[in-house]
Amino acid sequence: MEFTREIYWNVGHGALTLVPMYLLAAIAIGLLVRGALQRIPLYKQGLPLNRTDQVGRRIAIMIENVLLQKKVTRVMWPGLLHGLFFWGFGLLVIGTTLIVIQADFTDLLFNVKFLKGTFYKLFSIVLDVAGLVCIIMLGGLLVRRYFFAPEGLETKRDDAIMHGLMFTILITGFIIEGSRMAVTEMGTPLAIWSPVGLVVAKILGGIGESGLLLLHKLTWWFHLLLVMGFFILIPLTKFRHILTTSSNYFFSDLGPKGKLINLDLENEESETFGATSIKEMTWKDIFDADACTLCKRCQDRCPAFVTGKPLSPMKVVNQLGEVAFNNPEANLIDVIGKDVLWSCTTCRACQEICPAAIEHVGKIVELRRSMVLMEGEFPGEEVMTAMEATEVNGNPLGIGYAERGDWAQSLGIKPLAEDAEVDVLFFVGCYGSFDKRNIAVAKSFVKLCQAAGVKVGILGKEEKCCGEPMRKMGNEYLYQSLAVENIEQIKAYGVKKIVTTCPHCYNTLAKDYHDLGLDVAVESYTVFLLQLIADGKLKIDAADLSCTYHDSCYLGRHNDIYEAPRKLIAAAGGHLVEMEKNRAEAFCCSAGGGRILAEEKIGERINIVRVKMAADTGASTLLSNCPFCLTMFEDGVKGAGVEETLRPKDIAEILAERIH
Amino acid sequence: MKILVCIKQVPDMESKFKVDAGGTWYAKTDLAWRMNEYDEYAVEQSVQLKEQVKDADLTVLCIGSDQVKETMKKALAMGCDRGAHIADDNASGKEPFEIAGIIAEYAKDKNFDLIFTGMQSQDRGSAQVGVLVAEMLGLPSVSTVVHFAYEGGTVEAKRELEGGIKACVKVQAPVVITCQLGMNTPRYPTLPNIMKAKKKELLSIPVQELLKVDSRQETARIYFPEKKGGGLVLEGDIAEMADKLIQILKEKTAVLA
Repeated sequence: MEFTREIYWNVGHGALTLVPMYLLAAIAIGLLVRGALQRIPLYKQGLPLNRTDQVGRRIAIMIENVLLQKKVTRVMWPGLLHGLFFWGFGLLVIGTTLIVIQADFTDLLFNVKFLKGTFYKLFSIVLDVAGLVCIIMLGGLLVRRYFFAPEGLETKRDDAIMHGLMFTILITGFIIEGSRMAVTEMGTPLAIWSPVGLVVAKILGGIGESGLLLLHKLTWWFHLLLVMGFFILIPLTKFRHILTTSSNYFFSDLGPKGKLINLDLENEESETFGATSIKEMTWKDIFDADACTLCKRCQDRCPAFVTGKPLSPMKVVNQLGEVAFNNPEANLIDVIGKDVLWSCTTCRACQEICPAAIEHVGKIVELRRSMVLMEGEFPGEEVMTAMEATEVNGNPLGIGYAERGDWAQSLGIKPLAEDAEVDVLFFVGCYGSFDKRNIAVAKSFVKLCQAAGVKVGILGKEEKCCGEPMRKMGNEYLYQSLAVENIEQIKAYGVKKIVTTCPHCYNTLAKDYHDLGLDVAVESYTVFLLQLIADGKLKIDAADLSCTYHDSCYLGRHNDIYEAPRKLIAAAGGHLVEMEKNRAEAFCCSAGGGRILAEEKIGERINIVRVKMAADTGASTLLSNCPFCLTMFEDGVKGAGVEETLRPKDIAEILAERIH
Repeated sequence: MKILVCIKQVPDMESKFKVDAGGTWYAKTDLAWRMNEYDEYAVEQSVQLKEQVKDADLTVLCIGSDQVKETMKKALAMGCDRGAHIADDNASGKEPFEIAGIIAEYAKDKNFDLIFTGMQSQDRGSAQVGVLVAEMLGLPSVSTVVHFAYEGGTVEAKRELEGGIKACVKVQAPVVITCQLGMNTPRYPTLPNIMKAKKKELLSIPVQELLKVDSRQETARIYFPEKKGGGLVLEGDIAEMADKLIQILKEKTAVLA
């Protein structure tokens, strides 16, 4: 026998079927397109932003994350349920499209049928299994959402509509298949190629042929109506993520990762800086809200949210959308709340995990910019004091600028003003220069360089704060003034390479300064030292060390440097016990986003929470790579009451202790 | 209403100070400069007053080299309308009577309704300039003010006295007010105001045109306080430390006598 089936069996292939069917389809797709187009002007309320360059790269990101579901499946169980449902449903869509192509085009116009023989068998079993997988996955998602909802998962009317509709479409699909098979395929070798359909056919078999024919016809039309309803509902419900989330991958920020938009402060025309209204955000900021599926992965990982602060990145994104779509005149800062905006540590945990390619951090900084630049507001007086101290002395600690290079006097390294012939410029940063605990780290780094025969220079009193905490707090003006002065110095000495022991300096010099004209290679000390070891220039005598390692946000998530520090720890003889939250999932120390300048007044102390995670590993040393982290951990071990058993150290320190 | 606020540029107090070659002032190398902290309160109060009465013209005055213009720009960014820069490369060599004389000479024919100054400067700390200006102009003055209110020509001020006591003073403008720390919260200038400040009037007047008084006092010498002893940290066993302490108290003090 020929392995195939009659398309439009029982419902007929005449005008009485095709005309209403295509009419309905045209209406549904028309409504879908109209609904989608109607949202475009809402996005266009925002400022322009070019996210359509490098089309090839964008399409690659889209394929990876839409078709391959890479980011969705990063959180295993719900990710896998969604992924398998997506792939199953995709196959069903492809299968249905093949049927349409054959029945109404190739066969109708050219008498060509391809759904036959081995291909049909394959087609049949693939769709059959795909349908079953979809039902099981949907069931899993339903049980998760309605019976074992994880904390923070918001369930709305849209979710009920989506579950109900999808489930009914899949079930009616099997009823159509089963009733058709019960009449036409029972006892034929074809039946086993639709195993699920066969089971349904056996269940329905008792109805009798005339009943089956009626059931089949009615269900066929009902199924068709449901699918048309699905099309119509896409722009009207959370189904819209099928379009928006997919597109959002195309519109991804292509980097450098996390680099903020440079404000043009020279422009005499501009009267406002930062954003208070939706019209001052970009179209992408609005589009992001439509791409959000409320999966709350960002919220789960937000150090501010987890420690009881009012910030939820998911909520911020959706509040922006709420304003854009329903209340465009509203003041965003009033809607979202100042405490919310000041709580962010810009740790990027939200953005890194987001399966919808939403960019949270830039939005928060943009709103902060308006508070600082337009209102002169800060989260507290201590922050304003730090800003003023930086204006006067070039460091937020308020120490006299002339003492900036004093820490290095005993080490035999000179400021470039005295000797500019150096291999690398060590951009020390404020904490390495002035904070006693972090001076020890700066000294360790210099010792390591000297042991490797690398000639290091510093800017000394000509160095100023890189401006990172100020910039993240929203003080773009102060950041740019500091940056311009630093860049001028660096250029004047013809520096060829810069190394930093502070990931905030690193991120700023390597990425942000580029916009202001710095084109010198910048390296994190972790990468730099690892290379010295690899080249055989730096010799380390490994000695046992029980330790855990904290990935700073700015070396980790912001710059994807995860392995170099671990290799250094291994080279030092460290027995590394990882904390549960490590690498891209690492939990912030609390000091990013300029929060190093601010007191933490709301909720639990983030640094203590992180120190407890480190203490739970049982390790005796907590290693990190950042002066802010080290400062927060020195404080955190006291707060957590583990100062006797857990010692915070920088990687440079354990290496310097082990120089051959 | 016409308001004058007088400010001074001083080194940041965190700087490493050295005595200069002449031995009568500090050396000016390696110093970071800023607005005298007391004057920040004066500027803030004068801007608040201007905002309150709406129809007001606020002049900020500063004596010094071109370098002080940076600090004046901050006052302009905070809300002053115009700047009067008294160009003087040797301002630190002038004693308070001369400084007050210069300000009074500038202000005498300008009919200011209110003149604000800091209570004192962070570097010289004489606390004389404000009150001397008032005296020279024949105006009343209220010094060390921590609270200021103005209504229809009447100033109600609170002065800080010793021991946490405050004096409430009521006075008719024109009047000179010298501002104490904590009087208000000086604002952080907004970026649009920083930009506007760059375009505001900032006239330089040579100090010779305004210096009409002679100096009355002279700085003989400035020096760091002599180091007299240091702290002593006892370490070791508690019982031994207690014995040592008793011994020290017996030998060096009279508390156990």
